[in-house]
Amino acid sequence: MIEIIELLLFGTAIGGIFALIASGFSLIFGVSRILNFAHGVCFAVSAYSAIFLIKEFSLDVYLASLIGIAIAVLLGLAVYAITKPVRANAVMVIIVTLAFALLVEQVILTSFGNRGMSLTPFVEGVQVIYENLRMAKMRLIAIPVAIALLLALDLFINKSMAGKRIQAVSQDLEASMLIGINVEWIFIITIAISSALAGFAGILYSQIFNIYPAMILRVLIYAFAIVILGGLGSIRGSILASFIVGYVFVATMKTLGTHWSEFVMLIVIVGILIAKPTGLFGVRE
Amino acid sequence: MRSLAILALVLLLAFCVSQPETVGKREKVVIGVLAPLSLPEGSAQEKAARIAVEEINSKGGILGYKVELVVGDDKLDPTVGSAEFRRLATIEKADVIIGGFSSGVMLATMEVMAETKTLFLTDASSPSHSAKVAENYEKYKYWFRLQNNATTFAYDIADMVKMLRENGYEVKKVYIIRDEHIWAEDVVKALKPLLDSLQVEIVKDVKIPRNYAEYEPLILEAEKLNADLIIPIIALAGTGDILVKQWASLKPKLLIGGDLLAANDYAFFEKTGGAANYVIFTADGGTLVTDPITKMGKEFVEKYKAKYGHYPEAHQAFVAYDAVYLYKLAVEEAQRNKEKDPFNSDVLVKYIERFNEKNPVVLTRPIAFAKNHDLAWGDNLTRNWISQWQDGKQVVIYPEHVATGKLKLPPWMK
Amino acid sequence: MKSKIAQLIALSVFLSLLPLFTPPAYLYIIGLGIVFAVIVASWDLIVGYAGQVNLGHTTFVGLGAYTAAILQVPSRIGMNLEIHPILSIILAGTFSAIVALGIGIVILRLKGYYFSLVTAILPLVFMQKVFIWKDIFGGEEGFSIPVEKVAFAATIEKYYFALLFMFLSILFMLYISNSKLGIRFKAIRDSEELSESLGINVTYYKVLAVVISSFFAGMAGAIFVNYRHTVAPDLYDVPLMLLIILSAVIGGLGSLIGPLLMGLVIYLAKNWWLTFLKFGILNEEVILYAILITIAILMPEGVYGRRIFLKQIIKKLQN
Repeated sequence: MIEIIELLLFGTAIGGIFALIASGFSLIFGVSRILNFAHGVCFAVSAYSAIFLIKEFSLDVYLASLIGIAIAVLLGLAVYAITKPVRANAVMVIIVTLAFALLVEQVILTSFGNRGMSLTPFVEGVQVIYENLRMAKMRLIAIPVAIALLLALDLFINKSMAGKRIQAVSQDLEASMLIGINVEWIFIITIAISSALAGFAGILYSQIFNIYPAMILRVLIYAFAIVILGGLGSIRGSILASFIVGYVFVATMKTLGTHWSEFVMLIVIVGILIAKPTGLFGVRE
Repeated sequence: MRSLAILALVLLLAFCVSQPETVGKREKVVIGVLAPLSLPEGSAQEKAARIAVEEINSKGGILGYKVELVVGDDKLDPTVGSAEFRRLATIEKADVIIGGFSSGVMLATMEVMAETKTLFLTDASSPSHSAKVAENYEKYKYWFRLQNNATTFAYDIADMVKMLRENGYEVKKVYIIRDEHIWAEDVVKALKPLLDSLQVEIVKDVKIPRNYAEYEPLILEAEKLNADLIIPIIALAGTGDILVKQWASLKPKLLIGGDLLAANDYAFFEKTGGAANYVIFTADGGTLVTDPITKMGKEFVEKYKAKYGHYPEAHQAFVAYDAVYLYKLAVEEAQRNKEKDPFNSDVLVKYIERFNEKNPVVLTRPIAFAKNHDLAWGDNLTRNWISQWQDGKQVVIYPEHVATGKLKLPPWMK
Repeated sequence: MKSKIAQLIALSVFLSLLPLFTPPAYLYIIGLGIVFAVIVASWDLIVGYAGQVNLGHTTFVGLGAYTAAILQVPSRIGMNLEIHPILSIILAGTFSAIVALGIGIVILRLKGYYFSLVTAILPLVFMQKVFIWKDIFGGEEGFSIPVEKVAFAATIEKYYFALLFMFLSILFMLYISNSKLGIRFKAIRDSEELSESLGINVTYYKVLAVVISSFFAGMAGAIFVNYRHTVAPDLYDVPLMLLIILSAVIGGLGSLIGPLLMGLVIYLAKNWWLTFLKFGILNEEVILYAILITIAILMPEGVYGRRIFLKQIIKKLQN
């Protein structure tokens, strides 16, 4: 019984964080057909910036996180800028974003070192849940926070004008241009939102676990896996897939250990793709 | 692009031609440092070696030759480490190389050392390294360890258990959390029989990968299994601070005591916001950073603080500092004995070996080499003093003849 | 084709004369660069000739490397064999090719972005085995191969072996690219639908391209291992894949010689020429990536006169 509660809570927390990353990745792809290999940069940079600001300028964690997320957005816009000239060439986009990701990883490595670092949690301490089961409060808080953000995203995409424009561009770029949508602005807004989401995920993640340079690419792999599962371009699909992946991840972590969990997840993804080459929820090409 | 490539190749040719093999008179002494520079255990070695080199140069160098320091970063990767060792040895022409940290990388770099026949004065604790010397002396004799062999960590941990019992804290069951790495394997292998003989049961032995952070469930499990003590054997995971923070916030009825490398850091208390209080750890390498045991050690930490603004961030600093001075002493002794080439590695091996248990040299720690070029372990030599963080200070609590304090239990366990 | 063979011969002659005035320490790195260049050329075979943008080529490099390493240190799997190192290199290449066959049949059915994403994940899936069976494969630090069991011990031997490997492999690849097989590859690259309608078994040839190129990639991985005496998961990892892609694209996809040259240049740049630049937070990798991003942006349509062809690759990705 305790195990199941533990699984649900841990899985939902990590699934929520994954969802913030994967939905952003999916969003960027849906709108601009860019496979943003640098998406993990936003995730890591927000956390590292916040840690730095707290350490060097003694800012409080809320302000530091906010600035961290802002920096993540700036980097996202930088990715927009460097991919703009090569957008027509998908291989070049991959090269440019991948090189950017590796570049940032190296800079973080040389500035902060290779040791994992953690960010001061918004809420400290431990919460007793049930009998012997205690969990860090931050982990519990991450759940409603992530879900709130995801709901906000969903609402934005489906109900707001900007959101509808985003959907239009995802569905048909040329037609959107024809009806007068400023497609470049849509790209910019999309990348900004996605980077902010990833940045927020980074803040949450580094408060519960810790952050280290290799996370930039590691988080990307999870994003890929989730997005493949959920269907490229489908936000809701990505969100659902994130939670599924979150539970699978936690379950295998408990039973088989960390390395097996990554392996299992990847095998499952590849397996599903073989059976259904466009992901579980189909694709919006 | 083709023209660019051809240009590049021409440049390559020009570069190669411009580097003639100089086999001439010696102009300087080159000391190489090879360590994971992005980690405190690596950067401390470079910084410490630098201080030693500056001091030596200000006093006239080694045998009158100026000493130059060259640095390589092994990035905790055996391929990079091997390549850098090769570069330091063959391109930079280092006379001696100091360094290492990861036992896995050490194994790889020892192979290059054997090929280039370069003196290698090292950190890294796995017994597999000295085993190589035993297996093929002629090939690996250039390697010396200025750090304790991992099996000694087991002796000190077992002594720690005895000490806890002597102080009224009964230890019947222990929960081990350790690096998934060859060095931790070696410690556990040596520890198991020792714990058996003390009638201590190991309720679980958990292996953690690098950057692991999920200690909460482990601590809770240890509590559920009625362990009295969590024995961490963690150096590479890099998350010792998280373990300690989660222990302090969960307040379980068990102590943390073991080989927790992170706890050696003088700033550990601060870094963990005080959670490190009451954590028991082994002062690896025979010296507490904040309380060196020799005069040279005390002077060294002050010089370090003066130059870099803080005390050494890892005890590897002492290893590197000692290594430079050890090399100097060996060269000078060789010169005194009128060796034709006092810088020759084969010659120097013999002189370094002379520093054995009957004839230790006291640098920042007493250095003496045992069989197979391991560092000798013993009460008057180098031991991994059992220490504890108490209210912001590192205190040695065992053995008694060096102790500066007594064991304290955390308030929630009284 | 003749000109390409001439270029290959010229390059080989140039490289074989280098040892006359190069210290062994540098020859060591150049030799490694030559092996890397072969990997890049083998990637060009899949991407430049058969048109499949495979982001997981390092899978086969790593596979070949670990296969050879295990064969040469069989005690790690509890066996007691004596396999000649050269044989283990060939076996490594063969094993990679066999695995490529299996993977190819399954994955080559995927199209466009999915193909890229899945191939991107592939090396990491294989890399996990290194951690899961840590005792055999050595974990993130790998393991080393004792000098006695290695194919060649002296730097000069390694260098000439690498050169020989390069010459023979590229010769073979040039031959294939110019044969009927090559023509079919190019047809598929230009238009899969048209090729199908002409009666070409597209899947068969795509798989064949992957198998052939992975044979060479696997052998290259095995040679890396024999060269460096160590095996480590970095041969599966993303930075290596990026370097391969960059070398091939900037060198000029579809020409084999371009990627080969560029591979050598970029490898030497990363591991040698740029290592002198280390200021504060900038190290040689940062500078390399910055340079490469700049070049990629300034030449978005690719280089070496392959504009038309690259547009077709993009079209294929978007289908």
